[in-house]
Order: sequence, then C-alpha cells, then structure tokens
Amino acid sequence: MVVRYVAILHLQTVFLLGIETLAVLGHAPTSEAPRQGPHFTSCLSREQETFRCWWSTGSFQNLSQPGALRVFFLKENSISRNWTECPDYTRSVPNECFFNKTYTSIWTSYCVQLRSGAQNVTYDERCFSVENIVHPDPPIGLNWTLLNVSRSGLHFDIMARWEPPPSADVKTGWMTLVYEVHYRERNSSRWEVLDLEIGTQQSIFGLHTNKEYEVRVRCKMRTFRNFGDFSESIFVHVSQIPSKESTFPVTLVFIFGAIAVAILLILVIFSQQQRLMVILLPPVPAPKIKGIDPELLKKGKLDELSSILSSHPIYKPEMFHEDPWVEFIELDLDGMEAGEKMGCSDTQRLLGVGAQLGSSHGLGVKDDDSGRASCYEPELPEADPDTLAAICLAQHEKGATSLLPQSNLSATTAGGTPPDPDPAPIRDPIPCPTHRPESRPLVQTQLSTHSWINMDFYAQVSDVTPTGGVMLSPSQQSRVTEKIPVEKKEGQDAQVPEKENVGEQQKKAEGKKRFQLLIVTPEEGAYTSEVDAQKVSSGYSHEKSCEDSIPQTIQPPAKKISQEACQQLGGPTGDYQSPYLLPPPIPVPPVSDYTVVQDVDAQHSLLLNPTTTVTATPAPTPTPTLTKPSPAMAVGYLSPDLLGNLPL
Amino acid sequence: IYMYMYIYSSGIRLAIQGCGCTLLLWLSLGSLGYPLDCKDDQGSITRCTSISQDKLLDRVIQHAELIYRVSEESCTLFEDMFVPFALHSQRNRGGNMCMTKSFAIPGSKSELQQISDKWLLHSVLMLIQSWIEPMIYLQTTLERYDDAPDALLNKTKWVSDKLLSLEQGVAVLIRKMLDEGVFTSAEFTASLERYDVQLDMPDSVLRDYTLLTCFKKDAHKMETFLKLLKCRQTDKFGCFLF
Repeated sequence: MVVRYVAILHLQTVFLLGIETLAVLGHAPTSEAPRQGPHFTSCLSREQETFRCWWSTGSFQNLSQPGALRVFFLKENSISRNWTECPDYTRSVPNECFFNKTYTSIWTSYCVQLRSGAQNVTYDERCFSVENIVHPDPPIGLNWTLLNVSRSGLHFDIMARWEPPPSADVKTGWMTLVYEVHYRERNSSRWEVLDLEIGTQQSIFGLHTNKEYEVRVRCKMRTFRNFGDFSESIFVHVSQIPSKESTFPVTLVFIFGAIAVAILLILVIFSQQQRLMVILLPPVPAPKIKGIDPELLKKGKLDELSSILSSHPIYKPEMFHEDPWVEFIELDLDGMEAGEKMGCSDTQRLLGVGAQLGSSHGLGVKDDDSGRASCYEPELPEADPDTLAAICLAQHEKGATSLLPQSNLSATTAGGTPPDPDPAPIRDPIPCPTHRPESRPLVQTQLSTHSWINMDFYAQVSDVTPTGGVMLSPSQQSRVTEKIPVEKKEGQDAQVPEKENVGEQQKKAEGKKRFQLLIVTPEEGAYTSEVDAQKVSSGYSHEKSCEDSIPQTIQPPAKKISQEACQQLGGPTGDYQSPYLLPPPIPVPPVSDYTVVQDVDAQHSLLLNPTTTVTATPAPTPTPTLTKPSPAMAVGYLSPDLLGNLPL
Repeated sequence: IYMYMYIYSSGIRLAIQGCGCTLLLWLSLGSLGYPLDCKDDQGSITRCTSISQDKLLDRVIQHAELIYRVSEESCTLFEDMFVPFALHSQRNRGGNMCMTKSFAIPGSKSELQQISDKWLLHSVLMLIQSWIEPMIYLQTTLERYDDAPDALLNKTKWVSDKLLSLEQGVAVLIRKMLDEGVFTSAEFTASLERYDVQLDMPDSVLRDYTLLTCFKKDAHKMETFLKLLKCRQTDKFGCFLF
C-alpha cells in the first residue's frame, strides 16, 4: 500500500511543487550533479538566531575567485518575492554566507541558491527552516564530583555537571536543550551513551576504581535531531581505597573458623562413635525371648531352659484356659521324665512338616524356611505352641519313618501341599524357642501346672504302664511312642492335638510303635468329661474310632498322624478330648472317613468339610467346652452334645 | 483551573505511555498539589483567582511544552509510517502550506523581543483556537488509515483534548494579565464541513502530513511565546537583551 503511495506521491509532489513558485525540488542536501559542480556543503545555525551557509566550487576550479559564485536566498513570507543576495559574505572564511539576526527567522522557510557570477546559472538550491538546521554549541564547564564508593572499594559513582553553551538562550526559553553524556574507559574504543538529560547534570554509576574514564557531553534542541559538537573530554580517576585490608582478615577468620568447626565435628564423631552408630544405624533387634539367653539354646542346656521357661509368664496356665481341652493332653509326668529334650531341630521339623501338612494357610510355617534361626513364629496361632511342641516331639525322630506318617498325612492333607517325604523337612537341629516345645508339655499337663513346672518340658515316654500310663523319662531319648502323643492329640483342639500327635507319632514311629498309651490326665477334671472317662475305659473303641476320629479332627495332620498312629499302633486313638490309646494295637483298616479339610482359619485351625455330616463322622468332638477362639473351627467339631451320639 | 488538575494528571499518564522519563519528572515537579477550587464552567472562571498568575503561567507553559512534544512525536510517527522518504524534506521547507501562514507572526527573535505581552498572549490564543478544529479533523481522518498505530491515534486525541484546556488556561491568563475578556472555542460552534472532503489516500497522506508538521511548528510557537512571556514576568530586562 505504501508502494502505491510512493508512486502517487511522487506525482503529487511534482505537481505541487510545480505550483509553488518557491517549490523547487529540494531534497536531501546532496549535490545533484554527479560531476560535483558548485554546491552547498552545509547550512547550519548555532543558536537559532543566525545561520551560515557554506559552499564549494566543486571541480570547477575556474570559479574559485571571489564573486564567481553568488548566493541568493528567498524567505518564505517575505513581502517581496525576490531573491535577495547573501547579506554577508564572510571575509575570513571563504565560501561562507552569514545571515545575521535580522535576516534570520524561524518558523519560516528559507531557500538559498548558488548562482554563477552572472546569475545565469544556478548551480545549487537548498530550502530549509532555520530551526531544523540548528546545531547547538557544546556545553561548557564539564566537571565531576564523587558521589560514593562501594563498600568493596571496587566501584564508585560520580556526578558530572556542565553548563549550557553560552550562545544558546535557554534562559528565555528560546532554545530548550537536552544533553547527552558519553563516557568510556581510557583505552576503550566504545563510548557508553546515557539517556538524554534535560538538566545540566548527570550521574554515572558503576565505574571501576583504579581505572581512568573519559567523559564528554553534547546537546541538541529538544524536539529536533541535530546534535551539536562534543564538549571537551574530562578524565575521571579514583584510586582504590585500601579497604581490602579489612576484608582480608575477615576472610581468614572465616576460613579458620570453618576448619576449626570441621575438626571439632570430627572429634565429636570419633569420640561418640558408638553412640552415633546407635543413633544413626539402630541395630536390628535380633529375635530373642525375654530372659532366655540364646546361648542356652545353642548349647542345648534344656535344664536351664526348662527352669527359665517354666518361670516365664507367658506360660502360665492361664493362657491355656482358652484351650481348655488342651489340658487333656497330659502326660503323667510324675517321675516319667519322658520329656525329650529336643532341640529345635525337631521343632523345626515339626513346624516344617506342620506347614506342609497344613492347609493352604498352614500352621503358620508356610514357608520353606527350614533354617529358621529361631523357631519364633509370630504368625503361628496361639495354639501353635502345642503344634510346635508336637513338632518338636516329632522332630526327635531321626529316622525317616517318622516322616512317613507325616508325609502320608500330609499327602492327604486337604490343603494339598505335598509334604516332603524325605527327611529333608526334618530340620537340622536348630535351637528352638523353648517355649514351643514347652507348650507341649504344658499342654499335656496344663492343669497340673505346679506339677510339671518342676518337670522338663520335653519328656520322653520311656514306657507305658499296663494301665495305660506313660512313663516319661527325662533324658533325651528317642521317642518311644510318638504316636501316642499323636493320638492323644486327636481329641485335642486343632493345634494342640496336632502337635501331640505329631510328636507322638514320631515317638511311635521311631521306637515302640505299638505302644498304646492310655494317658490319663490326673487333674484335668475340668476338661475331662465323662465321655472321656468312658472312652478311657473303653479304649478299644477308640481304636476303631481312630480312623474315624482321625478324619474328624480339624487338623488333617493330626488326623493323619493319629490315623497313622492308630494304624501303626493298631488301635484307634479314641476321641480327641482324651487322647486315649487303647492298649491293643489292633490294626484297623483305615476307614475312608476323611473329612476334607476345607481351610485353615486364621488361627490355624483346620476347617473341615461341612459336607460330611457330623454324625457320619464319629469324630470325637473336641472338648465339650470347645470354646475355641476361632468360631470357624466349630464347623468341623462335634459338639459335646453330639458326642454322645457318636457310635462309640 | 480545575481542568488543569485533570490536564496534568492526564499529562502524567501520557508521559508514562511514552513521552519519556524526563517529561514525567518535569511534569511531576510542576504539578505539585496546587489547591484549586475552580470549576470548569465559564461562569465560575472568575473564581479561579486563587491560583497565582505565576503558577498559572508555569502550568500553561508546561502544558504547551507537552503539547509540542507530543505533536513532534506524532509527526515523527506519521512520517515514519506513511510518508515516503522522498518527501521528508518538506519538513525542512517549513510551513509553506500551513494555513496559519497568513498570520503575521514574527519569526525572528528580535522581532519577538519587541512584541508586547498582549500581543504574545493573543497570538497564542489565536494559534490555539485555529488548531482546535483541525486537530479534531485529524483525529477522525487518522482513524481511516488501515494501519495507523494506536500511539499516533492516542496522541492526536490527547492533543485535541489538551488544546481545549490550554485554550482555557490562556483565556484565564489573558483575563488575569490583561484584564480582558476573550471568547473561547466553547462558545463557537465548530463546523467540520470544510473537512468532509474525502480525498484519495495519497492526497490524504500528504494533507495529513502537512497538518502534522504545521501543527508542530505552531505548537513550538506557542511554547516559545509563553516562555518568552514568562521570562518577561521574572526578569523584564534580561529577556529583552541578547
């Protein structure tokens, strides 16, 4: 669009200029003739009151003499529209025409012409307004004062002052000047230009000490574009104040202070290393039992362990009130120290086996961790101690046979975890928390707490009395009748009998397999019901109920064990409440009256298949007061009421 | 005189827009809170005697300076935007086509030194009044440009407004200094019929450019006259000498 304007405006210009008599095309002050004829070099005014014009002859040397060229001017609003010759040809300066005040008017347009002497040739013409050709004189009186020095002593600020040029009439407002300050370093080639300043002073910031600066100023009319000449340069130099001395020691102080603090810290760390280690890296608490030195366990000093554990508060009989029917499992420990000082290896094995035998939930020992440094198994239910005891007992069996029943039992485990038929599950002798095996004897003789406190927790059955009593030997011997405790445990609650059974089973398998123990619980009157007593008397009937009862146990391992025990013993284990073993180990064909274990509840109690009717499975119910903590376990339990219905 | 408060506040705002920090500082120094209780209607102008003549003159001068600067910036903006370089020399040619050239305004300093205060003030007033209408016209015509910068439009509008204020200020000044009553443009009925001619774009550009340059020159005149007047007020003898 502007391009169109250019073309049209050109035409317009020519047209307009043609109209105007004075409108001769006067463009930029450049010579129109390329051959450099006479022309005006410049016209300028210094104070807006006078102005001068200079010309040159160009390449025409024959016009250099004075008078060869003449200047004529025409003022815009002059009354007479005649070209007037230059009022004053300056004598001192060649080729200069001076217009004094009378001839100088602003706000009017002037045109000057350079003509030949005969005025027949016009070499050059120029039109302008005076205010547009004003180049003010440079300011005067430039000087500087120090404003301040930075704290570091590296920088300083100055205030430069000057006076307006005397020729410029700024007082009356004839000319309004603005100033421009330049400064640079002494050896620099580039000037720093500051903003236009209407006043006569300018502050310069950020100058470096120990460096010399050059400052100059120039001015121009405020609304016009022509700068005047620069003023004389002044030099600014500020020597650096020796203030670094004060900063230097401060730096040294800081450095030494930092070093001292570091040394102090190192000393503190080294002196308090131990405590710091405790704070920073708190030791992981090793599993241990309060009051029990693990060294005892390692050395196998079960005597001390028994004494310690007996006094352990957690093994007070009150704990087992929840498992009342555990009390039924009691060995006649009077004098029958058949406790087996099993190491935790047995326990481990039992635990491992139990885990395998257990259902999906297992007995808490679900993992394959055969190398439990401690038999501490928090996930085991509270009855697990019993299981553990049983396991410990069972672990005493060194032979592989001990595992057979376990493996068989485990094979039939509802959970289906394939047991480890190999002795591998039998853990290596690992110190077992004595509280585990301890629980078993505790379970066995819970009512007679005082009686068995003095006894070992592990009692090996050395012999069986004709009456069915078990003679326990305190020495650590291979179990004679593992199955006996196994069978005993049949009637117990889930975990307790299991342990018993396992232990018993191991005992049985190991040695005297055909032992039939009739274990009587002397003081377990609270838990021994008449039925139990009946069963004791009619121990034979238990044989039959061995297989029958076995499946009824919620714990398949217990059941299995008991079954095996029964099988091996040849006699059923009887009801679960009273782990009575019938003397005659009549091999009874196993009755496939198994109750499939559905699941193991949170407390590691096996949940039997509810499909099997309670009556169909003449499983001796657990304790009549089977107030098992886990209500789910009651699924597979026979109530005492139903017990009577058992075809025993 | 109430208008002057508004004028200076507006002036400060305009200064922030781009007139430069120096102008802002200059205006802020000049427009320190003068308690004016003048109203802007004609009838109450006589009440504006609370302001002293010197302060009024100072304000008028500042106003004129500001108008001159803004006009110069507008001219530069327009020139850079619409006027080909080939015609830039027209600026140097002065106001050949300015409409105010008919006024017999002296151009030389010597002549001005001899002019009386009365003549100065009346010349200023005449200049102001002669430009009120053209500036309004310029405002409307500049809007017809497709790509006129907003700064240009704002400046011309601002100048139009300030011209009226300046006119009133000068009128009051005349009343104060000369004890004369003058007619202000508010009493005239402005007519823009003369400027309804829709010229072609190149003509319009040329005409507008001429208008801007001429106005700039006349604004310079106003400022110069008022400054000269002030100089006479403060130092009668010094201003006559040179």
